[in-house]
Amino acid sequence: MTNNAVAAVADRYRQPMTLGNAVLDIHPIAMVAGITALIVVGLASAGWIVPLAVSALFVGIAYLAGRGPSYLVTILKLWIAVGLILFALRALLVKGETVLVPLGPIAITREGIENGLRFTTAVMVICGGVTLFFAIVSMRRLMLALERIGVSPRVSYVILASFQAITDLGATARVVLDAQKARGIETEGNVFVRARAFFPVLAPVFLTAMTATEERAIALDARAFNNPGRHTSLLNLKPLTAVDTVLVVLSLVVAAAAVTGGILGWF
Amino acid sequence: MASSRFATFMRGYGRLTIFMIPIGIAINFVGGQIALLLKLPVYLDSIGTILVGATCGGLPGALVGLISNGINSITSPPTFAFAILNVAFGLLAGYFGRIGVFRTWWKTLLSVLPFAFIGGFCGALITIWVFDGLAVGGGAIVVGALTAMGMDLNTANFAAQLPMDVLDKVPTVLIVYAIIKGIPKRLLVKLPLGRVYLGQPNPRAKKPVATTATQP
Amino acid sequence: MVLAALTGVGFTYAYAEQPALVGIDLQLEEGRLHGVVGLNSSGKTTLCSLIRGVIPHFHHGDLTGEVVILGRPLLDWDPAELSRTIGCVFDNPFTQISGIRETVFEEIAIGLENLGVPRDEMIERVESVVEQLGIEAIVEKNPNELSGGQRQKVAFASIIAMDAPVVVIDEPTSQLDPEASEAVFEIIEGLKHRGKSIVLAEHKIDLLAQYADTITVMNEGTVVMHGPTRDVVGSDEFGAYGVVPPEVTELGRRLAAAGKPLDRLPIKRAEAFDEISVRIGRSTHAH
Ligand SMILES: Nc1ncnc2c1ncn2[C@@H]1O[C@H](COP(=O)(O)OP(=O)(O)OP(=O)(O)O)[C@@H](O)[C@H]1O
Ligand SMILES: [Mg+2]
Repeated sequence: MTNNAVAAVADRYRQPMTLGNAVLDIHPIAMVAGITALIVVGLASAGWIVPLAVSALFVGIAYLAGRGPSYLVTILKLWIAVGLILFALRALLVKGETVLVPLGPIAITREGIENGLRFTTAVMVICGGVTLFFAIVSMRRLMLALERIGVSPRVSYVILASFQAITDLGATARVVLDAQKARGIETEGNVFVRARAFFPVLAPVFLTAMTATEERAIALDARAFNNPGRHTSLLNLKPLTAVDTVLVVLSLVVAAAAVTGGILGWF
Repeated sequence: MASSRFATFMRGYGRLTIFMIPIGIAINFVGGQIALLLKLPVYLDSIGTILVGATCGGLPGALVGLISNGINSITSPPTFAFAILNVAFGLLAGYFGRIGVFRTWWKTLLSVLPFAFIGGFCGALITIWVFDGLAVGGGAIVVGALTAMGMDLNTANFAAQLPMDVLDKVPTVLIVYAIIKGIPKRLLVKLPLGRVYLGQPNPRAKKPVATTATQP
Repeated sequence: MVLAALTGVGFTYAYAEQPALVGIDLQLEEGRLHGVVGLNSSGKTTLCSLIRGVIPHFHHGDLTGEVVILGRPLLDWDPAELSRTIGCVFDNPFTQISGIRETVFEEIAIGLENLGVPRDEMIERVESVVEQLGIEAIVEKNPNELSGGQRQKVAFASIIAMDAPVVVIDEPTSQLDPEASEAVFEIIEGLKHRGKSIVLAEHKIDLLAQYADTITVMNEGTVVMHGPTRDVVGSDEFGAYGVVPPEVTELGRRLAAAGKPLDRLPIKRAEAFDEISVRIGRSTHAH
């Protein structure tokens, strides 16, 4: 890469951060407000149609943000792994008057189905909102926004370093596991055989990671990590824009209306 | 402000603790992943929580648990309802660490009972309170089957979860014990509960005057 | 002023059986490049840690004697101020990356962020070290996915971007090939010309002989030789502590042993080149 290319990279850091998409560029805090308000709407409703509609809206937002397909995969997996089981268990086990399908000792009742739909869509609207938030807002951006409102950079460090440590440690563990296999240590076979593979793989890998914290601490200290003064940041996260502010206010209004409506039984 | 209190707390807990927390979290995840990879019938996803609790103290351990569940919730939000368990593992491990439980293998093994009680009994309670006894997870199908056989829903939850947690915590605490045995002294001296495992009081305990007090 | 003055210094790591430093008397001047050599476990890293204040603020143990850094006793320094004043890069490149940044550019900026440097200045300083180190090609790479050598350069860049008046460097080239090592040494020399003081522990004696102003030889925790590079490296005693003298010095000695000594024992490649050119010139003259 030429010096010009470096200058271009440098220039990008001078500009306010943009991900080139209006939804992605919404300030993380406004995003928290917006998604929370939608979840509240879903939960305030007594039925299952509203939460289901909100869940669908989440998918729509993900598509607007350009993260549609991957979000859809995540959320469908959740619907299958969590939603379906929650629904099936309730439909089967919640006792009711109106028997739809008798199944020996238990029976599927209308009450069970209604209860199941209600509970499942409520849980799923929360799942949908949380996963949407993290599909749209990167951890780095979120932490940057939190640092702006006074959260300590140490908190950021712990969160961001955790993700990296999971990646690094996972990779090392797999390398060691493969090496064990190559050396003929059994990782298949019965439970005890497999369990015996677990210890020698993991204990040394974990120990090395722990020991490395010593040098990490020195390295971070050399980067003024313990400097008491105000920290600045290279990434230029736009402060709340007018759009963001409107979104926050709107969210508050919508959430308040939904709670009132829920109490008064509007929907 | 909460964050500055957090910062003070991190300092008070020694300078390595803040670097141990991410490692503890990674250990939770990787332990869980490898257990899945080896198709072991246990979770092994709280090794890091107990390890950090046992070596750095209850609060750091609790943080490891909390953040681990938080990260899991990003893709599987219902997990967060059980964060309190992982937090409790951390706090308890801190207490056990302080009183020297992890110094001997048999005491370590005995600690399985309280850990499994938290995981199994309190886990079942959360399932009952938050999900009306019908949560998802490893035990859900078992719970369903037990109820179908006529067992009361609450009893089914306890019956399904307690044994599973005992099975999980035995290898968990054993690996924690093995790791602590392997931590070099040079690292132990820098961990808040390291002195517990170093045995005799440090012959060179003379701390430099400026060590803890001035680090901002 | 004196960068570091050590008088009768000994240090034993907490719970260690053996002392790591014993009876060290050493004075290092400001504005120079000080090389530290010695066998493995001879105490080079420990000495660097001490000058940087990592001992005793981070590594506890039993410190005796007197350590004065830039005119102030080590224990009187505020640890945060000391780490701002003395930059340091340690040898294991895998622990010298923060692990919390997504591009090399951001990684190099991290120290500046923590120092509160304004964004525009930060960007300029990062750009400038990127150019100095010739790592333009990797500025957009993820630092957590680099090779050891690349990480070593990035770690080094992060520290020089912070522009501390003193830099302590422990084997910065352990993962680098000869050309890249030479480039790093040139940068270190550049730092010196900008008025920085440098303490550099290194195994590559040829490069140290070339660039360092003074050499300290360590053996089993003590300083066995210290002085201007020429005096130390050119001395007959130098090889006695297991450190291999530079190739050209060896060459000079062999020639002397063969009864054809050079006018002056070379310690740098350029000197050897000159001496030998003179010799060749003379012999062609004689024809
Ligand atoms: N953090 C530490 N805690 C305890 N002992 C240590 C520590 N660091 C080094 N030592 C010990 O101190 C002695 C001197 O080691 P040091 O690392 O200073 O040598 P070195 O010259 O840098 O060696 P190398 O060339 O291998 O880097 C060794 O016996 C080593 O085991
Ligand atoms: Mg060393």
